[in-house]
Amino acid sequence: MGDVLFLALRRLRTPLIALILAYAVSVVGLVAIPGVDAAGNPHQLGFFHAFYVVSYTATTIGFGEIPFAFTDAQRAWVTFSIYLSVTCWAFTLGSVIALAQDQAFRAAFARSRFRNRAERLEEPFFLLLGYGQSNAALAHALDELGFRTVVVETRPERARHIEIEGFQQPPLVLVGDARWPDVLHDAGVCSPHCKAVVVQVGDDEVAQAIAIGVSVLQPGRYTLARVHSEEACTNLDPFPHITVIDPFETFATNLSLALASPAVLWAEEWLTGVPGGACPHALNVPQGHWVVLGYGRFGHSVGHALERTGATWTAVDSDRHAAQDNHLHKDDNSERALVEAGIENAVGIVACTNRDAINLAIVSRARRLKPSLFVAIRQNHVADRALIEAARADMQFVKSDVMVHECLQLLVTPLLNRFLMRVRERGKDCAEQLIVSLLTKLDERVPSVWTFDCDLNHPGLRDALGPDTQPPLSLADLLINPLSPPEKLRAVPLMVLRGREEFVLPEATMQLQAGDQILMAGASGVEALQRRFLLDPSPLGYVRTGIEPARSWLFRWIAARRQASA
Amino acid sequence: MNLEKVVFGFFIILACTLNFGFVIGDISRPELHHPSELFMAVVVNLIATVLKFGDRTHIGATHLATSLVAMLQLLGASLVWMWHAYIVQQPDLDASSMSVIVSLAAGALLANLVSVILLIGETLRHTR
Repeated sequence: MGDVLFLALRRLRTPLIALILAYAVSVVGLVAIPGVDAAGNPHQLGFFHAFYVVSYTATTIGFGEIPFAFTDAQRAWVTFSIYLSVTCWAFTLGSVIALAQDQAFRAAFARSRFRNRAERLEEPFFLLLGYGQSNAALAHALDELGFRTVVVETRPERARHIEIEGFQQPPLVLVGDARWPDVLHDAGVCSPHCKAVVVQVGDDEVAQAIAIGVSVLQPGRYTLARVHSEEACTNLDPFPHITVIDPFETFATNLSLALASPAVLWAEEWLTGVPGGACPHALNVPQGHWVVLGYGRFGHSVGHALERTGATWTAVDSDRHAAQDNHLHKDDNSERALVEAGIENAVGIVACTNRDAINLAIVSRARRLKPSLFVAIRQNHVADRALIEAARADMQFVKSDVMVHECLQLLVTPLLNRFLMRVRERGKDCAEQLIVSLLTKLDERVPSVWTFDCDLNHPGLRDALGPDTQPPLSLADLLINPLSPPEKLRAVPLMVLRGREEFVLPEATMQLQAGDQILMAGASGVEALQRRFLLDPSPLGYVRTGIEPARSWLFRWIAARRQASA
Repeated sequence: MNLEKVVFGFFIILACTLNFGFVIGDISRPELHHPSELFMAVVVNLIATVLKFGDRTHIGATHLATSLVAMLQLLGASLVWMWHAYIVQQPDLDASSMSVIVSLAAGALLANLVSVILLIGETLRHTR
């Protein structure tokens, strides 16, 4: 702020000096010109009175002639000083307004304000670089979860848009290019409160440059970068703390998962949604021949995923210059072309061109030919959501949704990601077991997911986790409502992590050890209830024995005496 | 010759000399210290302060600091004068209040002297 203040004062030097001189000349004149008092005796105006008269005259307030009525000579001088000082004031105010509208000054002011506010952030925050559709959706999701965000965006109109969006805690916004190290630094990339950086910009080159810049400035800062090309993935590969997400590849993997083991995908979608949202529908993806319409980067990823599951497929693209491919059928999107691509015996189509209107046209044309088709459609623009939803496709690819899913998984509960990988490895049975317990113990909403740390540093657990506590602490104890013990908490333990050992979907009878990390899914508010176990030992003792333990020294002594006598 | 340097040096030295002119003389005798000299010292010091705005160098910051100190002392002296001459309404300033005013102005003179020394030091460093 100091810099900006001095910048402003420097620019205002001339008007300020003009103002000082105008006041000085007016005051000196008033003091020098002889006046008379009420009785007609000569009376000289003092500096104090002269300054008073000039002050209210210059600001056009005008309290009259004090302490005595002026002589004509004094009035002539005051007339002169009115014109002089009012002109100087107008000049000064004009300069101030011009300065406030100056682009360079406003940018410097905004930057300085942002830097101060970012420095004063005393809570964990996520740094989002770029504010396109995906990062906007992510910012809202993180806001729902109660995390602060800091946003850097190059386009001023996008950055201004944040102010009118509804946030609980609006993100701090800087208009600037995150490729510049000073911008990254001001945005708090080196701050100890910065939990992670998410880079989602339109251009892969820029995304790479930013991600690399972050890891060089602050090695070890966890960074998520969205890129769309293999080349970019390779470039970012040597940086251990950069995780690369390719939304096309992610969707393609999901599609192949839906073909191979739909229950796994369903469980994944369910656990990684925005907490409180509606439960996703189970997909029933048919096996057979597929038609992929549009063979760009996304089409390629989808094709390869279909290939991996053993499905047959044909791609149709109207681009005459596309590289030759065995599966590619270069044609327009007419009915004839669809028939030639084998739509009659296909089980599903994937509309993946990069234009929403064309995708919708393709889908309705294909449905006219064969109404029973399974339809997957790509939505390119966030504003077209209503149109794409009206098409009632079985599966939708929305880049921002995919990115929010992936980022939340990796940022908020890294353990969840690990758990989902294990579920994916174990396949259908494990996923079905998970779905059953989610359905029976929770409701059909996306649950909150959190990690419960059985750490000896928590005062509430120190006694319970001791080696000779009888009975040993079990998972079931943590699932009892600490406020009214017979009741159960609405939570499902998903995984217990003990050192490097993972226990997926553990039994409630499992005994816990110090250092265990428990991944929980549950209704909203349950996490806060469960945290009471950490803070002091009485809830856990109460839950386990049904007796509220005495806390103060005196009552503990009385209890011990009673026990001894009994 | 650089006109900016002339103006800058002029105001700093004038601020110092006016201040000196006001302070010189027996500290407790009002007739030796004229109010218009104090007034001119205040005005010239104000201008010198504004001229020093915006210099980001270390020496610039020290320059500004000396001017701010001088302003503080001179405005203090003026306020004391105003208080005794208009609000307490003594017919003449007594020796004790005059000595308060002059000693405040003498403090400002010291700050102004530092400012002049800085100016000279800066000039001497500029060897070609």
